[in-house]
Amino acid sequence: MTERVISISDLHYRYRGEKEYALQGISLEMNRGEFLVVMGHSEAGKSTLAACLNGLIPHFHKGRFKGTVEVMGRNTQDHTVAQMAEYVGMVFQDFEAQLFSTNVELEVAFGPENFAVDREEIGRRIDENLAYVGLDAFRHRPPSTLSGGQKQKLAIASVLAMQPRILVMDEPTTDLDPISKLGVFEITNQLRQRDDITLIVVEHETEETLHADRIALIKGGRLVRIGPAREILKEVELMEELGLMPLGIPKFFKAMNWPNLPLTPDEAVGAFQQAGWQISETKYRQMVAQEEAAITAHQQQKPLIQCQNLEHTYPNGVQALQGIGLEIFEGEMIAIVGQNGSGKTTLAKHFNGLLLPTGGQVQVDGLPTKEQGIFKLGQKVGYVFQNPDHQIFSEKVFDEVAFSPRLRKLPENEVRERVTEALAAVGLSGFEEEDPFSLTKSGRQRVAVAAVLAARPEVLILDEPTTGLDYAEQRSMMELVRDLNRHGSTIIFVTHHMWVVAEYAQRVFVVKDGKLWLQGSTRAVFAHEAELKEAFLRPPHFDQFANRLGQTMLSPAEMSQCLEKGAE
Amino acid sequence: MDSELYLDYDTPIHRLDARTKITLFAFTFLGLVIFENPLWLLPLCALIFIQGLVSRSLINLRRIRYILMVLVVSSLIMWNVFASGETHLFWIIDLESFLFSLGRTMLMVFMITGGMILISTTRNESLVLGMIRMGLPYRFGFAISTSLRLVPTIASSVVTISQAQRSRGLDLESGNILQRLRKFIPLLIPVFISTIRSTNVFGMALESKGFGAREDRTFYLQLHMGKLDYILLAFGAIYVLAVIYLRIMGYGTIPGLIKF
Repeated sequence: MTERVISISDLHYRYRGEKEYALQGISLEMNRGEFLVVMGHSEAGKSTLAACLNGLIPHFHKGRFKGTVEVMGRNTQDHTVAQMAEYVGMVFQDFEAQLFSTNVELEVAFGPENFAVDREEIGRRIDENLAYVGLDAFRHRPPSTLSGGQKQKLAIASVLAMQPRILVMDEPTTDLDPISKLGVFEITNQLRQRDDITLIVVEHETEETLHADRIALIKGGRLVRIGPAREILKEVELMEELGLMPLGIPKFFKAMNWPNLPLTPDEAVGAFQQAGWQISETKYRQMVAQEEAAITAHQQQKPLIQCQNLEHTYPNGVQALQGIGLEIFEGEMIAIVGQNGSGKTTLAKHFNGLLLPTGGQVQVDGLPTKEQGIFKLGQKVGYVFQNPDHQIFSEKVFDEVAFSPRLRKLPENEVRERVTEALAAVGLSGFEEEDPFSLTKSGRQRVAVAAVLAARPEVLILDEPTTGLDYAEQRSMMELVRDLNRHGSTIIFVTHHMWVVAEYAQRVFVVKDGKLWLQGSTRAVFAHEAELKEAFLRPPHFDQFANRLGQTMLSPAEMSQCLEKGAE
Repeated sequence: MDSELYLDYDTPIHRLDARTKITLFAFTFLGLVIFENPLWLLPLCALIFIQGLVSRSLINLRRIRYILMVLVVSSLIMWNVFASGETHLFWIIDLESFLFSLGRTMLMVFMITGGMILISTTRNESLVLGMIRMGLPYRFGFAISTSLRLVPTIASSVVTISQAQRSRGLDLESGNILQRLRKFIPLLIPVFISTIRSTNVFGMALESKGFGAREDRTFYLQLHMGKLDYILLAFGAIYVLAVIYLRIMGYGTIPGLIKF
């Protein structure tokens, strides 16, 4: 029994004040109970497409709209967003901004209240949906005290309480740690099995799209390809070309010219055995030895940052860090990972004196941070915040980057020299006169990095440098960071993207509940899958696959390098 | 950061109906504004203080203690400008005008305390629902609750933004007033921009949840007037009537006070 629930034909849309069309002739049909994932590079039009489904376009965002969108037989142009809300539920990426209430129960009640559902029925729906997403125990808590993953689950429950026929989720997991992502995807998975609800999810994380019925790939407002998920995921080259992250497993097997590409770790292990390949012990040991030699060489340099029994308790009594002891050496590239709220950002903020220890001590360059103060430390240790919009304020890129050197009262010719140098380092030479707010997210991120580089710090801390960027942008951001590291900067980055850690970090600190849970070379840490899982982290599929073969490989390239084909 | 004002305790004050608390707050205002003489204000101030102790919400005053101190000092001086008396003490201060200033300062401090108790003990939704049940249109009530909700959001982005700018070398603590004001530009612009961005999502999420879909809407939250509500309302009403009566009879003024 197929029932058409969505039909979009020849949809064009241009935001008011923009020259380019964000959507250029999209046609798409969906049947009841289907699960579609929409993928595409940044600003490809994914969110715009999502916003068309419940009428936010053209009602909330005014602009030029051509073509038709029919949802449950209703033309979205003739119905308000609030009217469409009865059929289409919408979950947004920003989990803070979509919660309105002071407790979990009332949050779920808000939607049904708007449709004048009677009180008893609302109570029933609260019970049902909180149980569904596993938040039953939190019903009297204020949403602000929930973790990011729980907030997003609450957002889903509050939308499901309106009993929509279609659920649209716009990058619901982008800001979540790996296990919270998984929690949200488990809910998606339960929903997928219900045939009364049709799911459309805009997603960056390729591994999570395996369960979808179909995947739609979008580029520049056009539908490039739509088809069964497993087929699309095997198109490694097409995905890379579109700026999307291909799965590591098919990427590896494709490079090895294996005909029937496996997708999951299970399938990969099977295919590997079937092929009769083997990992060369000698080559692997050689690789590990080289890596260890590099780490040892760094550790003979001077330690730049040292924490001894570091403790931090916030004024409200919450103990965020305890008993942290670590050393970071000159020239290293370090990743700090952990669940949302584990204390990793709190830890990083101790390295430049933004936060001072309430117990123990932190030394930078041999001196306690307490004695140095943020103004002085800021010159040695630069800190790029997660959201570039939290620091950009100038009308011109030049002034933004010049802010820090000017505050330090450098002569104007030196300011100019430093700005030029910093903009060159982030690939924004020639953008001096541009308005930073007109740049894309990744452009603004680069301006923020340049603004910190202009102070010529020895250490650069980056908080979530890849969040909110697409795969191609993430790659180029991390290549940029690696390049800085090769030119002598010590790099510390905080991240949720485990593949970024795998491919770019030399050493990793895992923070869990305010304590240092694991530390070591990236390879050593990624070998501890079970411990990582306890810290709510999960290595990428490819690394899991390698671990199951008995060796920890951090990228398909590494495995190719260590491979011995049985026949040869 | 812990930025919500509502304190999730279970005290007799928390359990009161929002309508009772709003009405008592209005009574408090009447009771305080009528008398000039600080002595006559004392009983009501004591009652408010007890209310704060019972509801354990005085802790929220600590958050605004610096602003409060500035207000108290400036109010103690300011009101002397608008009044004078027969007994000169020093500078612009007469005994009568000083008592007057003290009374006005008590009015201000205890109004703030009363308001703080109201917000600390009443859930945002109950407060708005209370106002709606008392005749306020829903959309208006929702606007109030939204602005209350935005306060903690903005406060936490201010913290992040000031950290970001301080780590770039912005020093907010030095310089004269003019220089310091200029230093706020790097804070204000990002605060505006990020608030606008998040309110944009807020607006979308609101419409997507069917806000304003129907003329009528239901409320899951229920208000319930208990015995204590009626007792306190009756007490409040009697108190206010008594205060008005005493004032008409000429009590509660400051003899010899001249107001300009």
